[in-house]
Amino acid sequence: MFVARSIAADHKDLIHDVSFDFHGRRMATCSSDQSVKVWDKSESGDWHCTASWKTHSGSVWRVTWAHPEFGQVLASCSFDRTAAVWEEIVGESNDKLRGQSHWVKRTTLVDSRTSVTDVKFAPKHMGLMLATCSADGIVRIYEAPDVMNLSQWSLQHEISCKLSCSCISWNPSSSRAHSPMIAVGSDDSSPNAMAKVQIFEYNENTRKYAKAETLMTVTDPVHDIAFAPNLGRSYHILAIATKDVRIFTLKPVRKELTSSGGPTKFEIHIVAQFDNHNSQVWRVSWNITGTVLASSGDDGCVRLWKANYMDNWKCTGILKGNGSPVNGSTQQGNPNPSLGSSIPNLQNSLNGSSAGRYFFPLLDSPQAGSRWSNYAQLLPSPPPPPPPPPSLPLLAEHSCDADTANLQCPPPCRQSLSRPLNPLTENEGV
Amino acid sequence: MSGTKPDILWAPHQVDRFVVCDSELSLYHVESTVNSELKAGSLRLSEDSAATLLSINSDTPYMKCVAWYLSYDPECLLAVGQANGRVVLTSLGQDHNSKFRDLIGKEFVPKHARQCNTLAWNPLDSNWLAAGLDKHRADFSVLIWDICSKYTPDIVPMEKVRLSAGETETTLLVTKPLYELGQNDACLSLCWLPRDQKLLLAGMHRNLAIFDLRNTSQKMFVNTKAVQGVTVDPYFHDRVASFYEGQVAIWDLRKFEKPVLTLTEQPKPLTKVAWCPTRTGLLATLTRDSNIIRLYDMQHTPTPIGDETEPTIIERSVQPCDNYIASFAWHPTSQNRMIVVTPNRTMSDFTVFERISLAWSPITSLMWACGRHLYECTEEENANSLEKDIATKMRLRALSRYGLDTEQVWRNHILAGNEDPQLKSLWYTLHFMKQYTEDMDQKSPGNKGSLVYAGIKSIVKSSLGMVENTRHNWSGLDKQTDIQNLNEERILALQLCGWIKKGTDVDVGPFLNSLVQEGEWERAAAVALFNLDIRRAIQILNEGASSEKGDLNLNVVAMALSGYTDEKNSLWREMCSTLRLQLNNPYLCVMFAFLTSEAGSYDGVLYENKVAVRDRVAFACKFLSDSQLNRYIEKLTNEMKEAGNLEGILLTGLTKDGVDLMESYVDRTGDVQTASYCMLQGSPLDVLKDERVQYWIENYRNLLDAWRFWHKRAEFDIHRSKLDPSSKPLAQVFVSCNFCGKSISYSCSTVPHQGRGFSQYGVSGSPTKSKVTSCPGCRKPLPRCALCLINMGTPVSSCPGMTILQYSLLS
Repeated sequence: MFVARSIAADHKDLIHDVSFDFHGRRMATCSSDQSVKVWDKSESGDWHCTASWKTHSGSVWRVTWAHPEFGQVLASCSFDRTAAVWEEIVGESNDKLRGQSHWVKRTTLVDSRTSVTDVKFAPKHMGLMLATCSADGIVRIYEAPDVMNLSQWSLQHEISCKLSCSCISWNPSSSRAHSPMIAVGSDDSSPNAMAKVQIFEYNENTRKYAKAETLMTVTDPVHDIAFAPNLGRSYHILAIATKDVRIFTLKPVRKELTSSGGPTKFEIHIVAQFDNHNSQVWRVSWNITGTVLASSGDDGCVRLWKANYMDNWKCTGILKGNGSPVNGSTQQGNPNPSLGSSIPNLQNSLNGSSAGRYFFPLLDSPQAGSRWSNYAQLLPSPPPPPPPPPSLPLLAEHSCDADTANLQCPPPCRQSLSRPLNPLTENEGV
Repeated sequence: MSGTKPDILWAPHQVDRFVVCDSELSLYHVESTVNSELKAGSLRLSEDSAATLLSINSDTPYMKCVAWYLSYDPECLLAVGQANGRVVLTSLGQDHNSKFRDLIGKEFVPKHARQCNTLAWNPLDSNWLAAGLDKHRADFSVLIWDICSKYTPDIVPMEKVRLSAGETETTLLVTKPLYELGQNDACLSLCWLPRDQKLLLAGMHRNLAIFDLRNTSQKMFVNTKAVQGVTVDPYFHDRVASFYEGQVAIWDLRKFEKPVLTLTEQPKPLTKVAWCPTRTGLLATLTRDSNIIRLYDMQHTPTPIGDETEPTIIERSVQPCDNYIASFAWHPTSQNRMIVVTPNRTMSDFTVFERISLAWSPITSLMWACGRHLYECTEEENANSLEKDIATKMRLRALSRYGLDTEQVWRNHILAGNEDPQLKSLWYTLHFMKQYTEDMDQKSPGNKGSLVYAGIKSIVKSSLGMVENTRHNWSGLDKQTDIQNLNEERILALQLCGWIKKGTDVDVGPFLNSLVQEGEWERAAAVALFNLDIRRAIQILNEGASSEKGDLNLNVVAMALSGYTDEKNSLWREMCSTLRLQLNNPYLCVMFAFLTSEAGSYDGVLYENKVAVRDRVAFACKFLSDSQLNRYIEKLTNEMKEAGNLEGILLTGLTKDGVDLMESYVDRTGDVQTASYCMLQGSPLDVLKDERVQYWIENYRNLLDAWRFWHKRAEFDIHRSKLDPSSKPLAQVFVSCNFCGKSISYSCSTVPHQGRGFSQYGVSGSPTKSKVTSCPGCRKPLPRCALCLINMGTPVSSCPGMTILQYSLLS
């Protein structure tokens, strides 16, 4: 069961992208009004816009966060043919007192000659790297050699895809067994059917990105592409938004079986393909474990997909784009018109408090237990255990805030630090 | 509007009204039905709106086109263009005392009768109405009427005569237009340009023309076939769309020579093209015989000024209803809302949703943006545990300190929520393994302990000694069955399965009692039976039947059981072997399978998948010979590995096999938390060296970081470093020289530094020479303490492994 509520975004034009930071406590939105807004979550769970500034001279297509290890860093890309890197300035100022944060442009990446359609930071373990793709079909990978100096970015790789690119996704796997990998989707609508998804892999020997795979079965324009968080799986999951939702798995064939040096070979399977959106699918997004996929499509609905234990993917929820529930059987293409009437009310609530609550039912509740559930073996209880150790108060998890510091490591637990430091209190130190 | 094909128009100001026109005009009123029932007589337009018919006007036959009076008008004043070229003003209002009363019924008659193709009200001077007509020899085809003019042939046409409110004698026929344009031509479509009151764009025969009423002798024109349906973008007044057959042309009036853009051609001819009035750059098009409205989202179109830009046009299509669409109309104010009408006059009201972009936050809430609005969707707190995603489960488990109970290991499954039988089996297995490893270590401090963690598969393999089977008497029955002599390994296996307790005591009594306590009558009875105690089994079943939540049918089962006979061809045997398959409870099923099986072949028990693995393995240890047992365990292990079933950890232990099994479990569920904690239970270090295990641990720590569970991660790290000393966290405090900025930390050799490479700056040398007076990097003397004069950076204690630096940060 999911509950939806509306937040007054106050953008003057269409919002093109929403992006969460690593912790999910900050959010960035970008819009055709050429601005980016940064939102912070308050303790009560409400979102407050803490910064809004003009970023480009065209529609801003995408915005993305760097890992907090590199500081509070955003990247945006726009129709104005540029991508830009932004950093939050920490310090006391009037802005700070007003609850506003201040962001400065660190660099503008001007290599593209056409609209930059997507921008993504590489997974943390690769360092501070940024990939962009543009309508002229070139994926560019930049690196900031010095993470303390975000104004220096060097163009490390240029990959030509030969098709107008619409979206990119890094493979988030940090396993040493997996080389850095990037998937590129194209929304080229020219009639000559070519595969619209290409996967490039970094080759340690040549120090170049080489094409590892082309998904030949995807021939319609691709609007979004997303690798699932790997989470220790032995294979990768790739979701594609095209005229339907597709989920592929890519299982690397073990290295020892392939000739070393060449690109990794993959066993590629399509594990799900859904045309429930009845039309184009615009976006796909994975949850943190890569177990639930959300997709949005031209039917104006958001759908959630989840696999059961047999790896059968099913729709587990539908919500209309305006947050209202879909009643029973989904009547395609007959969305309700309440958007117009309800929105003005929502806009009145300025700081994004909830205006309406809606429910939508779980359409396909998981099977009531697999074959294991009914006959769980019950073992003899060992002697009665001592009462459970008092778990740490919940609040403690939220009290230490890592976001502000520009640390190399996320702050470790205070307990572990305190021990070696104990002898160094004022009495003994000096 | 040839009578069969209805058109539809929203009222420009009364936003809850629209008109459907085919042979007559019907005015409807739209109501929301969100909070009310559908009223009698109203038509459903969508899930939450309905239309009520207010009035019908059939005064004007031969309608060809209709246009709604643009300025505020409570009476629904409409201009109707007829097949004979006349334009009639008519109304659907009920009130006849309005100031428009005199206008109603007024007719504007052209010189020669021909079809009126299009009508357009001037948006700035609301009394001006332009009518486009077919060609008639050299006559004019564009006529501009002033609706307030009287029939006054003597008055010069340029002079506008307005109707004053009190005047009553109005002639209903007007034959003198204000302007006459487009001589010797036909006009197919018209629209006024919002830039100036006196600019009129007309789609003529084979050209688009802009007429300037200030100088009617001149016109600007461009030859094109795309002359139908000219319409101006309400947000961008220089942008005009027109169409021809299946192709839409977009024009920029500042550079009128050729279209700036033509949209992809449709196979069928277009019938209507309209800009969305509530959103920039959204053009809706409709083709004949189609149930799809195609939308073009023009975020950026080429402009003649500036350099060439590639257009960013997103093509979309919506299907408002299943039937073909005759016409559609955008709602004038509601965002992206439109109404469509089908040839048989069914209507549908719907909203075109913007492309939704979405993102999951790490704490299972979904945010999406639709148009200019944001929506946050969160999982309900009280969701049924079965519905919960593993991400939510892991988060809750992390909060309940799942995996951290290293003493009462089995309790971890309760911390996990006590809902997953596989986890339960896993943690009991690990509990027993820990318990018996400690036992072994106490008894013989040899290497035996690690065998326990290697799982039953290895334990059974290690028992190479010949095991004689002996015939055991059934208690309470005159029967004998071959049972394997339990050697040390088999006893250990049974212990790990939980059937027998510590020590050499092979009594399953305590186990049975605990099962009975838990109310697992069937399982207890089966275990009793497998231990050849049929009396106890019957007794347990009786107990179960008489207990509160027990099943009365258990008595029947007990009765059937008591009728057991050893005779091969008895009716009992025959019936049991056929009827047992209908039993729902797998334990009851295997009991009869056991009783009816031939000696030495127990497949009915061993391959009953619904019976817990540990019971099947224990059974196998009791009844199978060494070779059979090895084969069976091997087979079962592979099955478990393939399925990623955590019950199989009992067989594989924490070995490479176990990691393989866990890998398929993680592949299946994504539960790196259980995988990490499970692998951190065992003492053998080799599994921790496995790359996959390290990768799970890394992923789990990353999850804890993302959730900001710093304390949980620290606890996890402490727990991990106890078992895996190589994972000790790196030094996190360094002292640096204030001249060169390099680290002067002393004995870095005890802490394996990675990554930042501070170690290379560490002072080498034996720990006895612990006095550091200058920076190793730049040789500058280090500052001294004001009291003791010891140089900073000197270790206080020479205790190895515990390097404590004078903690005084050099600013």
